Amino acid sequence: MPEPVQPETTGTPRPTAERPTAERPAAERSADHAAMDRLTAELLPALIAKLGATGLGELEVREGAWRVRLRRPTDGAAGRERRTADRAERGTWSAGGSASSHASSHASGPASGHDGSGRSDGRTVASSPAVGIFQPRPDARAGTKVRAGDRLGSVDVLGIQQEVVAPTDGVVGACLVEPGDAVEYGQDLIVIEFASSPLGA
Amino acid sequence: MFGKILIANRGEIALRVLRACRTLGVEAVVAYSEADRESLPVQLADEAICIGPADAKRSYLSAPAVISAALVTGCDAIHPGYGFLSEDAGFADAVAAHGLTFIGPSAAVLERFGSKARTRHLLGGHGLPTIPGSDGLLRDEMHALDEAERIGYPVLIKPSAGGGGKGMRMVRTPRELESVLRVCQSEAKAAFGDDSLYLEKWLDENRHVEIQVVVDRYGHGVHLGERDCSVQRRHQKILEEAPTPALSEAARADLAERAVRAAVAAGYENIGTLEFLVDANGDFFFIEINCRIQVEHPVTEMLTGIDMVATQIRIAAGEPLGYSQADVILNGHAIEFRINAEDPAHDFRPGAGVVERYHAPGGPGVRMDSHLFSGYEVPPFYDSLLGKLIVWGPDRATAIARGRVALDELVVDGLVTNIAMHQALLVNETFLEGRMTTNLLDRVGSAAFLAAAARS
Repeated sequence: MPEPVQPETTGTPRPTAERPTAERPAAERSADHAAMDRLTAELLPALIAKLGATGLGELEVREGAWRVRLRRPTDGAAGRERRTADRAERGTWSAGGSASSHASSHASGPASGHDGSGRSDGRTVASSPAVGIFQPRPDARAGTKVRAGDRLGSVDVLGIQQEVVAPTDGVVGACLVEPGDAVEYGQDLIVIEFASSPLGA
Repeated sequence: MFGKILIANRGEIALRVLRACRTLGVEAVVAYSEADRESLPVQLADEAICIGPADAKRSYLSAPAVISAALVTGCDAIHPGYGFLSEDAGFADAVAAHGLTFIGPSAAVLERFGSKARTRHLLGGHGLPTIPGSDGLLRDEMHALDEAERIGYPVLIKPSAGGGGKGMRMVRTPRELESVLRVCQSEAKAAFGDDSLYLEKWLDENRHVEIQVVVDRYGHGVHLGERDCSVQRRHQKILEEAPTPALSEAARADLAERAVRAAVAAGYENIGTLEFLVDANGDFFFIEINCRIQVEHPVTEMLTGIDMVATQIRIAAGEPLGYSQADVILNGHAIEFRINAEDPAHDFRPGAGVVERYHAPGGPGVRMDSHLFSGYEVPPFYDSLLGKLIVWGPDRATAIARGRVALDELVVDGLVTNIAMHQALLVNETFLEGRMTTNLLDRVGSAAFLAAAARS
């Protein structure tokens, strides 16, 4: 079996071990935000150039407790979205227009394995980090201002809570699923509206 | 019977299990990784659920993701297919702990047969001759050298947890043993998460013959005959056939009966395969048991007319076998060709890419189990199996003739495949005479083999 392109693997997600679900101290949060700013300002443009120059499909880089994964758009993206939409109409499980359909940068928490797709039209979506039962945070209702990395809710995987985090700074918009709904990996959960492009490009 | 089954696998075997579920009238949910969103099993399924990213460790190999998917979709059983979690006793145990049924042997049975060294000892005690090997697992280099000396070179280094040729090396001298021991350890660790190794006597000219057994929960067992898997490349099977050309009818029946008796006596449950090496004298040695549905199961299905995946599901659901050995009729001859995305002209380098055109062959006695379709993009993350072509005939010569026609008809454009390798086999004198041994392809070299076929 050929090795996966992704160089780093996390195995079974165990979010509670490394990332407590309780509110984290302000110092830790601001350190996270500083790390993310550094990633977006310095690392991302270089990484995008590197990905373009190599034949690789995916690149992942770690910076402190954070990591960034870049994935090249595939030729089949258009067909994929069309078929995904077909399936959604048939009322089966699917993540309509999920992160995998787009060239996207993922800013992932240390252990959550979360994928949030950065789109540049002023809206982005926090997606599910795992397959399980979704519960939104009561204080993350529509209109609430959030910063990238803030917890919006969680997905219960066999009793272990996996965090759903805001992929960018912005304002919480519509919640796309009901509390207590079963969700699949990568499924769009909560819309985040933001003022400017999250990549500062 | 189950109400709804989660299929925790991909590719052709996910499709095969889906078909068995539908035949039994059981609902099925296909669990898939992001890389398999466009795959045929997902498209054909009534229900499918994404369980993780392309990386198998976070999807098909993630026990929490698979079990969670089964629970949220309302399944009461999980079919693991082959590979991935299919022989993981810890997973089977966790499945049961969540009130679900693992389709395969129970966790206790998987645990009992989990270590190859212990299984050899166990079945040796139930009357099966076993291959001379190290006394348990290798403790260190000194122990390995001592044991190899005692068994006699050449020896085969094998991972205790493994399968599929990973971490396996044949060595002829102590020096060679010293130099590859570390490599085998790290390969085994990477592939199976367990670096324990053992040694086995290497028979230079051997054939690989395996017996398919079926045992229900009530201790009723039958065998479904044998399969000959001697056509291998670096310990990976590429063509399987039944009956084996290596043994007489009486010898085959004797081997199969002894195998099923030992399996039942040792407490085996559900479908399983006992692998044997057969030497030039026709003496056989038990090497290991596979506690899963195997890639090559269609060969047996063609001979017996028994749907083995359906049988596996029925037994896991607690149903009695419902037939006896006398009801099992082995009819004709079958050959399976594994169609892989690998380049036989370049040391079987694996490939990925888009299937520009796919056409499956047909006709009497021809079966194609494949998840390919025109326009399908083969992801680079998983193994290289594209499908299996199985041919049946009332005798070996007819099966071979149908195989040639079917291989010529099979179209997989856009990818490099090993189809030419199979075509070369079907004109090779050694194969036609039924004299293939497991090391022959590696010894001759696949490029030389192809070139010889082109000249003939």
